[in-house]
Amino acid sequence: AGFAHTGRTMVKGAWAGEHPRDRISGNALSPEFTVDPKTGELAPTPGQIVANVTCQGCTTLCSVRVRVDAETNTVLRAVGNPYSPLSTDPFLPYETPVRDSLTSLSRFEEKGLKGRSTACGRGNAVLQMITSPMRITSPLKRVGPRGSGEWQKISLEQLVAEIAEGGDLFGEGPVEGLRALRDLETPIDPAAPEFGPKANQVGLIAPVNDGRDAFVRRFFNLAYGTINYVGHGSYCGGAYRSGSGAVFGDFKKMPHAKPDMQNAEFVLFIGTAPSNAGNPFKRQAALAGKYRTDGELNYVVVDPVLTNADNRATPGRTNWVPIRPGTDGALVMGMMGWMFDNGRIDTNYLAQPNGKVAEAAGEAGWCNATHLVIVEKGHPREGRMLRASDMGFVALEEKDRYGDGDAFVVIDASGAPAAHDVAGGAAALFHDGVVQTSVGPVAVKTSLALLREAAKARSIEDYSAICGVPVEVIAGLAEEFTSHGKKAAANTHGGMMAGNGFYNAFSVVTLNTLVGNLNWKGGTIFGNGRFPDSGEGPRYNLASFEGAVKPSGLPVSRPIPYEKSSEFKARKAAGKAYPASQPWYPNAPQLTTEYMTSALGEGYPYRLKALFFWNSNPVYGIPGMGLASVEKLKDPKVLPLVVSIDPFINETSAFADYIVPDTVMYESWGWTSAWGGVPTKLTSARWPVVDPRNDKTPDGEPVQMETFLIRLAKTLGLPGFGAGAIPDVDGNLHPLEKPEDWYLRGGANIAWLGKKPLPDASDDDIALSGIERILPRLKATLKEEEWRKVAFVLARGGRFENQSGGFVEDKAGHTFDKGLLVYNEALATSRNAMTGKRWTGTATFTPPAFADGTEMRSVHKAEDWPFELVSSKSVLISSLTILATRLRHLHPSNPVGLNVEDAARLGISTGDHIRLTTPGGAAEGVAIVRHGVMPGVIAVEHGFGHKELGARAHTIDGERQPEIAGIGAGVNLNDLGIADPTRKGVSVWLDPVAGSAVRQGLPARVEKLASA
Amino acid sequence: MDRSRRNFLGLGAAAVGTATLQPATVEAREARHGGDAAHRWAMVVDLRKCVGCQACTMACIMENRVPEDSFRTIVSTYEVAENGKSATYMLPRLCNHCENPPCTPVCPTGATYQRQDGIVVVDNSVCVGCGYCVQACPYDARFINHETLTADKCNFCVHRVDAGLLPACVETCVGGARIFGDLNDPESTVSKLVASEDVKVLKPGEGTDPRVFYIGLEAEFQGRVDGTPTLWRPSRAKAEPSLV
Repeated sequence: AGFAHTGRTMVKGAWAGEHPRDRISGNALSPEFTVDPKTGELAPTPGQIVANVTCQGCTTLCSVRVRVDAETNTVLRAVGNPYSPLSTDPFLPYETPVRDSLTSLSRFEEKGLKGRSTACGRGNAVLQMITSPMRITSPLKRVGPRGSGEWQKISLEQLVAEIAEGGDLFGEGPVEGLRALRDLETPIDPAAPEFGPKANQVGLIAPVNDGRDAFVRRFFNLAYGTINYVGHGSYCGGAYRSGSGAVFGDFKKMPHAKPDMQNAEFVLFIGTAPSNAGNPFKRQAALAGKYRTDGELNYVVVDPVLTNADNRATPGRTNWVPIRPGTDGALVMGMMGWMFDNGRIDTNYLAQPNGKVAEAAGEAGWCNATHLVIVEKGHPREGRMLRASDMGFVALEEKDRYGDGDAFVVIDASGAPAAHDVAGGAAALFHDGVVQTSVGPVAVKTSLALLREAAKARSIEDYSAICGVPVEVIAGLAEEFTSHGKKAAANTHGGMMAGNGFYNAFSVVTLNTLVGNLNWKGGTIFGNGRFPDSGEGPRYNLASFEGAVKPSGLPVSRPIPYEKSSEFKARKAAGKAYPASQPWYPNAPQLTTEYMTSALGEGYPYRLKALFFWNSNPVYGIPGMGLASVEKLKDPKVLPLVVSIDPFINETSAFADYIVPDTVMYESWGWTSAWGGVPTKLTSARWPVVDPRNDKTPDGEPVQMETFLIRLAKTLGLPGFGAGAIPDVDGNLHPLEKPEDWYLRGGANIAWLGKKPLPDASDDDIALSGIERILPRLKATLKEEEWRKVAFVLARGGRFENQSGGFVEDKAGHTFDKGLLVYNEALATSRNAMTGKRWTGTATFTPPAFADGTEMRSVHKAEDWPFELVSSKSVLISSLTILATRLRHLHPSNPVGLNVEDAARLGISTGDHIRLTTPGGAAEGVAIVRHGVMPGVIAVEHGFGHKELGARAHTIDGERQPEIAGIGAGVNLNDLGIADPTRKGVSVWLDPVAGSAVRQGLPARVEKLASA
Repeated sequence: MDRSRRNFLGLGAAAVGTATLQPATVEAREARHGGDAAHRWAMVVDLRKCVGCQACTMACIMENRVPEDSFRTIVSTYEVAENGKSATYMLPRLCNHCENPPCTPVCPTGATYQRQDGIVVVDNSVCVGCGYCVQACPYDARFINHETLTADKCNFCVHRVDAGLLPACVETCVGGARIFGDLNDPESTVSKLVASEDVKVLKPGEGTDPRVFYIGLEAEFQGRVDGTPTLWRPSRAKAEPSLV
């Protein structure tokens, strides 16, 4: 090869290759603008647009600024939006003119160093997905059986007509269309009226909310009327969120706080690592780098796998503690035991029984540590909180007893029982005894006494033996964690996705309760959420409309108590109430994990007849789901209609009947916010900075999710879409015919929030922000007094509360004011539907188990499966970003990590080909031998091992798509997920409480196939 | 085609031997040199702040349209085990824009040279792709661009610096580890850091006098690193082990 090259050079001399644009800069882009370094004067570059929009490279959804070449309709680069805390620290005051925001990024007065606004590695490269050759730009209909990879392009009209009306669509027999399925009256099963009407047999599996969720919910929930709309949480970080929900007292919305990394002195990350993963990924990474160097921040990461978070160049500031998968709760309960033994809990915080006395005591919040729980064996209210009405403190009507107005009971400073909300000061922390109620004595304990019992259920030595962390490290972490007052915090995330993840997460979050750090600068902060676009806003009502349906009935994932079901009543009448046929999840939100197994495979609780996947890929993303669901997905008799709304053909949409092309990244509209970890309120904007590459309708509208749903709604005659669908604040009606009818009116709502509306965008703002491109649409859609205010928002990439609102002196500017739960009554009194046993009401350690409580290791024994697989995260590749070729070139595969000692024993060296086997499957990969992996653990990085997205070529109208081997490189841990052997029919292993997918701690063995 | 640097050792000599270009005159070179001698551009990389996200790597590629599978800058990432403790070491690498660059004197055509502001550039209209400079660079910072077949490397985004902007890698550095500025200006951030911090350079023994300084650089990483690169592996790494 070298010789041939030499020959070419000899003939051509210099420039034997392609001629670059510039003799020095080669093919580098023209700068987006120039700034005079002496005066700061800005000169835009003609033909380039600089616009603030939102990245979709991961679920953080950072606000970024992109450069667009207007002539070629191409996004050139992405960097950070200097107005946004997700990309910048400190970020610009919101009122800053766009011109000054651009100058702030330049060399002028070195402003660009101080005000640096960034995109991460992934964020820099993912714009390649817009021009990916794998993209679908026309509606597709399958040819041949599901999964055959053969498609034909069809028109939007045909797509909508076939999905609406059904018929013999594939020559396989009749398929019910959405018109026939929209029956809001007839019950699915007259014997189980709680299932709700037949319309519930249409479901949608959504991705992370990319800023368009409210629009899609409007169609499926409010217009069509189905209850079955579910997000991706159960296979993302669901276990953490549910565990946090236990502390914050809400299992449906699952509130969560994040460490204030800017002001914390010590943060304990368990099962998550800043700058490796977590959310907000980039902000946490930036704060970690900055404050571990220039500030007071020290942190420890507890995880089976070492990541970039432990940076050797900051000795002492960062540390890594390896741990066995699924044993985080043992470490944490061991820490708690030490804290109780050594008096290292914040008694001033814990002893305050209500918010008022907590404030008087100098606290920023309160909890139920002192509230009494009935522990009398056999008492009808055993496990419930003792209430004021039990004590005769209040006389309530029977229906109001034990409701919100029935106070809890504490032992006050005088040693007497008192209602928690009238107690004038600190209450007893560890009461364990009998109180005289109006109907006699009853045994009670405080919530904190119950937590202490749970912590002391095992010795620190036992906990150490379980988690593999030395006793002195457990004690040392406890001591460090409790040595910084309120300026210490614990946090977790994806590492909780184990077979006991719920209680592990509940334990981690309870650590924060024990030091009372919520709402404190340097502790955990709640953030301030978003400026809502789609509610009943100050300009337009986007929350409801004439004829809106209130969806009713039982979601297929059963997020309610089994005891409320007809099945329970029937079984109880037959004498055996437990077990239920399948698990129920009263302490969880809706779960994609169950949509794809029991509902699809077993028809439990009922069958779905049409399932939509919107930019979601559960077959790839849920451990064991391929094995559990693909055969069912393929069978039109099991699931008659499958529609994917997605710009790519992924491992799930490959089995669709129809694919509706969606827009990609910067082509679309959307209003997003921070997931957490930002102390100030924000809403980020996304608007089309380039024209979508999709097909156009005859009237020039791109075919995308919104166009499809609007047309489908109008065809079906659904309310809420078309003419007169959106009421304004004066009751006048406006159309919903185009995407901007929705998103721009949402923008008007955002602009009018607060005491007075935002200012108008200046002509200069408009000229320098690329807004000019969509100005005709702003003017055509919005009222005269609205469009410049919405332009003000769009020009800045959203609306951002100023940085000063984040904290007021040493407390968070926006606080969570309800009491935190040390003991969660709802959890403690709900039952496992498979056993009838109640759950533990406090944090506790419980080994990884299947649905009926059978420990995983009693089924898949260590002698057969000596290793445990864990999923780790890449900073570059995720399930979808493998499509960006530049990321693949830098990080082409995911070698499988194992510990040096294990590798030596097995004779495995770095580069060797190995086989991983679990009870659910096998995969081959390449080994990388590391010190940074816990012994006994095999680490598989997420995002690789694709079977679709271009790893297999599909044929569209007889034309083969490209097939790219690199997209299929490496191993997908989820192909190795396991079923739950204690359940009937197809299943995947889920946390029994949270219903979250298990990907941490899968039993496995490893063998060497060939040397490198 | 195998583009390993070893490969270029042979073909480079052949190519130069047959090149018909005349070496540029001294005057012509001066005229081409450009840059304002009032400045001396430099970078400080604060390793304590590097989070290993590779934003710099990707931004450089996107900004400079670096050919596929090639890198002008990259964050080498190592796993280091010492005294039973494992940690990660992240080392951003790029052209050092040396005060005494060993790459320029070996160029037979004068294609690569140092501007008056210190930035070492390659004039691709003069480069014949002989690869001498690739060989001469002790930092493995250069490669032959497989599209243009000319020498390629980091030039501090000279087109952006001349426009009053920051290099792409600096602008997007998530941890704030990359700091760029003017060493001739004592008030600049880089000048202050070089004066106040314990800054080190790569391969100080080479006498190249780099103008990329590191804070937190350990001695064992100043030269070629024998450790196992762990957390990522560029697809060209097999062909060019020097990259990692």
